[in-house]
Amino acid sequence: MPAERDDRIDDEVLHRVVAELRRPVRLDPAVDQRALDEIRSEAPGWPASRHGHRWGAWLAGGAIAAGLLLAVLPGSGSRQPAIAVAPAAPMPAASIGRAIHLRLEAPASSRVAVVGDFNNWDPAATPLRPAGDDGTWVVELRLKPGRYHYTFLIDGRRWERDPSEPPAAESDFGAPVSVLTVS
Amino acid sequence: MSDSDAALVARTLGGDLGAYATLMARYRDKFGGYAFHMLGNREDAQEAMQDSFVRAYRGLGACRQPDRFGAWLFRILVNRCRTVRRRLQRDRRFDADLPDDIAAGGPRPDSFEWRDEIGLALGRLRPHYREAFLLRYVEGLEYSEMSEMTGAKEPALRMRVKRASDQLRELLRDVHAG
Repeated sequence: MPAERDDRIDDEVLHRVVAELRRPVRLDPAVDQRALDEIRSEAPGWPASRHGHRWGAWLAGGAIAAGLLLAVLPGSGSRQPAIAVAPAAPMPAASIGRAIHLRLEAPASSRVAVVGDFNNWDPAATPLRPAGDDGTWVVELRLKPGRYHYTFLIDGRRWERDPSEPPAAESDFGAPVSVLTVS
Repeated sequence: MSDSDAALVARTLGGDLGAYATLMARYRDKFGGYAFHMLGNREDAQEAMQDSFVRAYRGLGACRQPDRFGAWLFRILVNRCRTVRRRLQRDRRFDADLPDDIAAGGPRPDSFEWRDEIGLALGRLRPHYREAFLLRYVEGLEYSEMSEMTGAKEPALRMRVKRASDQLRELLRDVHAG
């Protein structure tokens, strides 16, 4: 693709630099195999379409009225959540770790899930559950100390970042994502 | 006739890892140059490429235009290169830490060639300048595409490209003349 006319390179030094930098750089083909090995080892159930979703559709939705609260409870919980929390949904590798309570107020929604590094971004792995009749959704996670990117999936279509946690500095997928640090 | 990206993405989403291997082989070397020039060495470029392949696979359903899989993968790679670069800077392994006398025109080993000089000069640029220069002139992106990819506004990107060009020209002029 040619550069725009207003900043064309008209300098011999830079011409030679760009010509050199455009020469192919061959990477080790073993990169592909290592990627496949990593894919096979971490998530045999992927990719996400196995669950009947087209993730692209999630990104097209508008904003919803949602309030979100994250409660981090050390041990059995010195800080109580504002509402009762339903039993945790099954997690892939989460029988140990710190209790993390997520809460979402989304009264107009029919289903809510959380996807993130802790569940391989699997939209079927960690649904939130209704906590009453007021449209509040909750879930408890068990997470080991670490840093996790995550977001919420609403009605299988819309991604909504958790506003109570910092946004990711960058988003690989162009969607709103938060960062949760568990100490 | 080879399969289209869209066909390979569809087969991958259906569980065919072989189709994904074809996509990786198609783009490994095509994008390898960007990673290599951004990070300054082959090992880190390969790490960024591998990580990008894995992340792209995880989120393949989010690729809204499967026929433009390559552009989507490249965006992931640009972000991964930023992440790897930050880690390298923390570990003080990045080329920007090369001795000043080399990059500033001091004594060089005789074996240094034009390509090596370019690598050293790129390593002396601020990462955002280097990124903008590579995206603009080597990858051939329009400023609107660069803005979408990096989150920076077009005037800022034009400034970065201009400054990168000026600095590269200055760093390499003597080598070129010699």
